[in-house]
Amino acid sequence: MPTLSFKRITSAWIITILVLFVLAISFGITMRFNQGRDIDISPVTFYSLMTVHGLTMIGIWAVAGMAAVNYLLARYVKVSTSLNVFAFVLTVVGVVILWVVGFIGKFHAGWTFLYPLPFRVAWEEWATLWFLIGLTVLGVGWLVWSVGMIMQILKKYTLGQSFAWQHFTKKHDVAVETPPFILITMVSIIGILISLITAVILLVLFYAEYFSNGTFTNDPLLMKNLTYFFGHTIANEALYLGLATLYELLPEVSGRPKFKTTWYVAVGWNCTMVFVLTAFFHHLYMDFVQPYGFQLVGQFASYFASIPSAAVTIVSVIVLIYGNKIKWSLTNILFFLGLVGWIIGGVGALIDATISNNIILHNTLWVPAHFHTYNVMGNVLFSLAFFVWAANQFAGTDSKNISKAQLVKLSILVIGGFGFVLMFYIAGAYSVPRRYALYPEEFTSAAILASAGAWFALAYLIAILLLLGNIVSKCLKVFSSSQPSPLSH
Amino acid sequence: MFKSIFFFTTLTSLTLSTPLFGQTLPTAGDIYNFSEESKVYTKMIDIPLNTMEGNFHLSDLYAQKPIIMALVFTRCTGICSPFLLQLHDHLRSLDNKRKFSVLVVSFDPKDSLSEMQSLAARFQLQNNKQWIFATTPQIDSLKTAIDFYPTWDSTTAQFDHEALLVGINENGYIGKKLLGMRDERALLSLIKEINNEFVFSYPLPAKNTIFSCFTYDPATGKKKPSLGLLILLLPAIITLSLLLWLGSRKPKLN
Amino acid sequence: MKEHMFILTLFLVLAVIIAGVFTFVYRSSVGNKEDNGIKNPTGKRFIFFLLFTGAMVILLFITIPKSPYYAFANDAPAKVIHVSAMQYMFMMSSQAIDPNNPSMEPDITVPVDKVVEFRVTSSDVTHGFGIYNDKAELITQTQAMPGYVNRLRFKFTKPGNYNILCLEYCGAGHAVMRSSFTVN
Repeated sequence: MPTLSFKRITSAWIITILVLFVLAISFGITMRFNQGRDIDISPVTFYSLMTVHGLTMIGIWAVAGMAAVNYLLARYVKVSTSLNVFAFVLTVVGVVILWVVGFIGKFHAGWTFLYPLPFRVAWEEWATLWFLIGLTVLGVGWLVWSVGMIMQILKKYTLGQSFAWQHFTKKHDVAVETPPFILITMVSIIGILISLITAVILLVLFYAEYFSNGTFTNDPLLMKNLTYFFGHTIANEALYLGLATLYELLPEVSGRPKFKTTWYVAVGWNCTMVFVLTAFFHHLYMDFVQPYGFQLVGQFASYFASIPSAAVTIVSVIVLIYGNKIKWSLTNILFFLGLVGWIIGGVGALIDATISNNIILHNTLWVPAHFHTYNVMGNVLFSLAFFVWAANQFAGTDSKNISKAQLVKLSILVIGGFGFVLMFYIAGAYSVPRRYALYPEEFTSAAILASAGAWFALAYLIAILLLLGNIVSKCLKVFSSSQPSPLSH
Repeated sequence: MFKSIFFFTTLTSLTLSTPLFGQTLPTAGDIYNFSEESKVYTKMIDIPLNTMEGNFHLSDLYAQKPIIMALVFTRCTGICSPFLLQLHDHLRSLDNKRKFSVLVVSFDPKDSLSEMQSLAARFQLQNNKQWIFATTPQIDSLKTAIDFYPTWDSTTAQFDHEALLVGINENGYIGKKLLGMRDERALLSLIKEINNEFVFSYPLPAKNTIFSCFTYDPATGKKKPSLGLLILLLPAIITLSLLLWLGSRKPKLN
Repeated sequence: MKEHMFILTLFLVLAVIIAGVFTFVYRSSVGNKEDNGIKNPTGKRFIFFLLFTGAMVILLFITIPKSPYYAFANDAPAKVIHVSAMQYMFMMSSQAIDPNNPSMEPDITVPVDKVVEFRVTSSDVTHGFGIYNDKAELITQTQAMPGYVNRLRFKFTKPGNYNILCLEYCGAGHAVMRSSFTVN
């Protein structure tokens, strides 16, 4: 069970993430309003906002997943508060550096900082180096955190057990049962770890060129592969961390028996671990220089990564809910909605991961359309569900049945969220390029769609703000009392 | 209206940020060698050729088979010999089913046909039907057609020049050029190109780049393990080793 | 445009079906006094997996052969255009472009109904090379990466003006980086 100090640090994570989320959404809305010509900002400001928006969003939803599984991990293994605090401090320091780099340094190479763009200095001269330093701080913090959590799991489970290999047979009487939560957490953190090591290698190559005085040049193709290996993988694994919390909490708050690790759950998630690592090749479909085999692997892996994780989860949740007596509260509704958003976003992703479609969708607004869907309406909702649940734990309140007021807030959230991404999808189908500060005149509907998207996003932001107050006030309670309240464990 | 505002704001902000361009960075022109690209997909000039088999035109040759053209001079004490030797080696080990002939042309007006013949004999190629050693009276037009300008160094009495292969397809178009000592892989892509097999992408020769995903070193022409691909595998290898190391320790609670 | 609209429609239909299924599942669970859930789900689960995997395999078999890389691989191009992208313009010429001594042609014209080849590279950062028709529809693209030459082959079936837009974020002028050519 988590100690009071562990609750406090988790609470600090939740509050920090929500505050950063609200700010980063407003950067996004500013960008969409600019594209809609409702406001007028300079391209440099636009792209600085875009860079900070991307970095912040990817960062906070990865750590939201990490913080959530770390908290829930305390149910199974001994967790370390100091490790968690260490990660928190480095995250805050890293984020502060990156915001300074973006807003004061005017750094605007995008969150993907595709080589060699960061070296084409069109901002304050110090910004490139400090950008790399900011990323290094985050990378080190999260790397240590991931390894620490893996070590915590491996102190209780053997390597095979942590991947649920003993469940591969159909026998029901295994000596040690691996809960789905442990399996999915392990699989996801391994993925996070691999992506962070990739980031470290990428950063080393950047530093090497930066300090080489022109004697060392990187290969742009290798750098692009590394960039998307890191970027794609961390974004995907962040989602799987969200799913880990879903597997742990959805049955519990719905008043259903816990999920069990069956052979297909075990096999499915092990397959996902492998497939997800090669799916990133789909980011390089339009780089004809990439070996053809890699392109095929990209499409195969993108398709097959969806079978185990999505199919297993869909079936498990439908069997859990369909026709049964369910106690619907805010927590499990958010999980349920998040699952729908994740699957719909996944369909958009699969369409784009098909090479023959990609030639007319690559780097159009279809791309932000699908990844915003499974983040805005997927992963964010998984994390919010955990936040609501954890806030109730901290405040010692019980999760109540869903109220009319909450349903209204959720409706605004759903309309705002899906309306926002729909504008992206339509624009993407109409070939509107992504990452344009303003749209050329031939895209006649692009500005209107952008403006509409911004208004929908504003509705989404309002819904988040309405939900946020309750969560934050409950989270703050954990700091005011020195004793945990009686209901909190 | 909108367009002009748009351009204006963009240009102003770009101009305003110019003082911030502090670091002078190497441009792509410094890093990559673009001369390999020049004249690609232009029609070759139809120069007359003098060979031991008789006198004919370049078009007579390429009409039969695509050509790999190598440029040398017989008194070369530098790159020419190793270059021809390597080309010969690579072509043998490629065991190629694709058709082509190899045309070795001198760019030195002083070279005679018999000197070219003895050059062929040095590599024991004088009886090889695939290899043709030739001189041409139109050296200057040839140089212009392929953008190849060796300079005469009177102190060493040598031409200062790079190794150059020019691939010419059956229609007489330059399909690909290869500068410097290159590996088999590059040669194969040249042979594919002149046989009208589509190679949908290729790298430019680069300076100072290590860790590329592909395996050639223009400087030495030797094959190296694909460091770039190895780097891509590294994260997974490190993680796996870490897991095996952590996992080898016995858990406490079981 | 047919292809673009097909993709959008397909997506929307699937999204509505997914939303419908989950709404149905949700409604089935509201106000129940007792559990009336799926009995013996193992068999149904298996069928679902089979269908899901089958659909993926069929889709792979349909779509992989349509991959664009080998398009017009066996044709000799009627015209070759060299493209060197840079912040924030496209240099285009029927001659190879040396970035240290660039020369470009102001008006590029390519023949209709014949295979045209674009040899695309970049002289600074990575750019995108997206070809748009006069209805602002993206018809084909490749990336412009420094150090590599990507060869994009295409057969234009309609004469007219075509635009090239940058499709990889390349800095503050990304949205104004463009060029055009004529097909006739």
